[in-house]
Amino acid sequence: MERGEIQSRVRKVIAGVLKIAEEEVAADANFVFDLGADSMQSLEFVAAFEEEFEIEMDEAAALEIQTVDGAVEFIAGALATQR
Amino acid sequence: MGKRKSREQVHGIFYPRSVAVVGTNRGRGTVPFDIFYNILKDGFQGTVYPVSPREKSVAGVKAYKYVIDIDDDLDMAVLVFPSTVAHLAMEQIGKKGIKSAIIISAGFREIGEAGMKREQEVKAIADEYGVSFIGPNCLGVINTDPECSFNASFARQMPAQGNIAFLSQSGALCTAVLDYALAKNIGFSKFVSFGNKADISEIDLLYYLKDDPKTRVILLYLEEVTEGKALMDVVQEILSERGKPVLILKSGRTTEGATAAASHTGSLAGSDEVCNAAFRQAGIIRCETIEDMFNYAISMAYQPIPEGKRVAIVTNAGGPGVLATDRAVHEGLTLARFSEKTADILKKSLPHTANLKNPVDLIGDAKKDRYSAAVSSILGDDGVDGALVILTPQSMTDIRSIAEELCSIGRRFPKPLYTSFMGEADVSEGVEILQRHHIPHYSLPEDMCQAFSQACLFAELRDRDPGQPTLYDDVDMDRADQIFATVREEGGKKLSMDQSFRLLDAYRIPLLPYGLAGSEAEAAALAGEIGFPIVLKVVSEDVIHKSDAGGVLLGLDSAEKVRRGYQGILESVRSSVAGARVEAVLVQKMAGDGEEVIIGIKQDPSFGSVVLVGIGGIYVEIFRDFVVRVAPFSRGEARAMVQSLKLFPLLSGVRGREPRDIESLLTCIERVGQLARQRPEIAELDINPLLVRSQGRGAVVADARVVLENLERKER
Repeated sequence: MERGEIQSRVRKVIAGVLKIAEEEVAADANFVFDLGADSMQSLEFVAAFEEEFEIEMDEAAALEIQTVDGAVEFIAGALATQR
Repeated sequence: MGKRKSREQVHGIFYPRSVAVVGTNRGRGTVPFDIFYNILKDGFQGTVYPVSPREKSVAGVKAYKYVIDIDDDLDMAVLVFPSTVAHLAMEQIGKKGIKSAIIISAGFREIGEAGMKREQEVKAIADEYGVSFIGPNCLGVINTDPECSFNASFARQMPAQGNIAFLSQSGALCTAVLDYALAKNIGFSKFVSFGNKADISEIDLLYYLKDDPKTRVILLYLEEVTEGKALMDVVQEILSERGKPVLILKSGRTTEGATAAASHTGSLAGSDEVCNAAFRQAGIIRCETIEDMFNYAISMAYQPIPEGKRVAIVTNAGGPGVLATDRAVHEGLTLARFSEKTADILKKSLPHTANLKNPVDLIGDAKKDRYSAAVSSILGDDGVDGALVILTPQSMTDIRSIAEELCSIGRRFPKPLYTSFMGEADVSEGVEILQRHHIPHYSLPEDMCQAFSQACLFAELRDRDPGQPTLYDDVDMDRADQIFATVREEGGKKLSMDQSFRLLDAYRIPLLPYGLAGSEAEAAALAGEIGFPIVLKVVSEDVIHKSDAGGVLLGLDSAEKVRRGYQGILESVRSSVAGARVEAVLVQKMAGDGEEVIIGIKQDPSFGSVVLVGIGGIYVEIFRDFVVRVAPFSRGEARAMVQSLKLFPLLSGVRGREPRDIESLLTCIERVGQLARQRPEIAELDINPLLVRSQGRGAVVADARVVLENLERKER
């Protein structure tokens, strides 16, 4: 999957969980500091990414991800190893 | 520890004019929301801005996505974001030019290495921008001064205004304390939960409170003393410059530090003993419980500090009067003797069945008039330093009127007046009146007596002259340096007996004449030079308990006996300790008569070098008659140490015994104090015993051991 597509789908997932417009989800945005995600929503991100990309994410490692770019990086890696 | 904060830097924490709460949200009942809402609802006199990435408004106030978006000068940020993004928030706080912050968030040093890294990162950013902050991991800060009225905490209620400041390392304890204080109508001037103290420490806060006109008494809850000497210095300054009491509740009365010691001093002077001694030396009142702390605090904050220990007890019930009398005497207070004038007033005002002497019993049917006459006349008596008034609720007792009358009397006399209205439900109205008018009230008369005694102790600590330590200039520093250099070169940590003796000699601490013999002929020759009678002691790293191994012989009065003794020691030691290497045999003058005293040095992780003095000899751990001081200290302190020992009557001459040379003992203690101060590389030192001879005949060291720092400690 192209990196651009991964980023686009990640932003859509985040916007869906946080109930904000996709345009507000900048590539370098920090989930907590810039987007105001709380700890429950961070857990929701992990579940939503797993469903969206049909991958399994190690929960502890996934919760370390703090930014949109970080999520894209993590998911690209997971897709490469899990397919 | 970092540089001390300036008064202005700490002032910024208490008196901001415009505050941003960074990371707040709309979730009622959450810390980020409650902090913002408490500032808003508790009447903050400045401006408060919510900063929230998602919310357009919080509690009806327009919110900002970033702190840098706020179009106003800000002087304080309260950071409530999770620890994972605290560094991002601190970066913006710094860029905005904010100079004061409170970091409420947890998830730093207290959770381990990852948290420690985050804390260091946030601190480094704050330092870069010159931001001073409280926390992280704390409940927040409250300033009740109406000029500011600032409640940046997640406490349920803003406390009342008062003249007591409370500082706490534990945030959770703060909420309990606030609730306790609320129930007892206790107000605060400043209330600070300082958490991990990554930047502003309790020492900085104490320096600030010293000069805070709103604060009369300072309370501090500590879990660890990290800067012991600095704590002692600031409290001594508070006492000498402002005369404000500092009360500390220090948890963690552990003895684990004492279990791994290599000397008597090390095993006796555990961390809690040192802490107690250091607190007393600094003038700190150490409290056992939160209740004790507030019992003492209200007496010192509300009433004048007693000028003496002569108390008058006034009661409407005999039993409680006796209980109070017993406790007062136990606490070292004395029952005042009334003047003729007072006795006359009491006689005229009280029924003939009343007890007119101290404790004054007004009899069960006493109403306001009897309390009024007795308490006023007593407080007007020059022979009375304070009144302790007890009331039990009887059917005819007019509790409310009596409480009001006592409040009125309390205002008229510049002497302490404490009360104990015993019971709960019936007396509650009276108690509430007393509390509101700052007349200290205690549920139990025993607690009232204890509080009075602690106020007297405070007066004693405040008024004493700590004196200056003597600096003896006759010390042979080159010789001492040489000894340490040799030990280091040899890669050792422990000084040999000879090195220990030579070090003490360099500090002019008198030793029994001695020499080291490598043969029986040398032993006999040395004995001849020193003079009989002689003591022989084995010198061997392998023999710890010399007497048990047959390595000590006493009272040898001829060269022949010394020769035979030398051989005897070698045989005994070799048969009782297999493979023991004997370096030499110490030939020492027999000490003769003298009282055995131990003087020791120990390095304490919180307070540095401490000196111990106690009953010497082999039973030192059993009798546990010892006293500790942090070095340096004056001769007056050394004298106080000796006078506080149970051994003291034996030293000063009792039942026809000749008094011992206490002045020489004091000089030895002072010189050991100087050694401790000048040679912090000494981890442990024991002079045991020091023999204190009859007056005018001095004191001499019979045995000593010195261990330098980083010793691999033996498990005992």
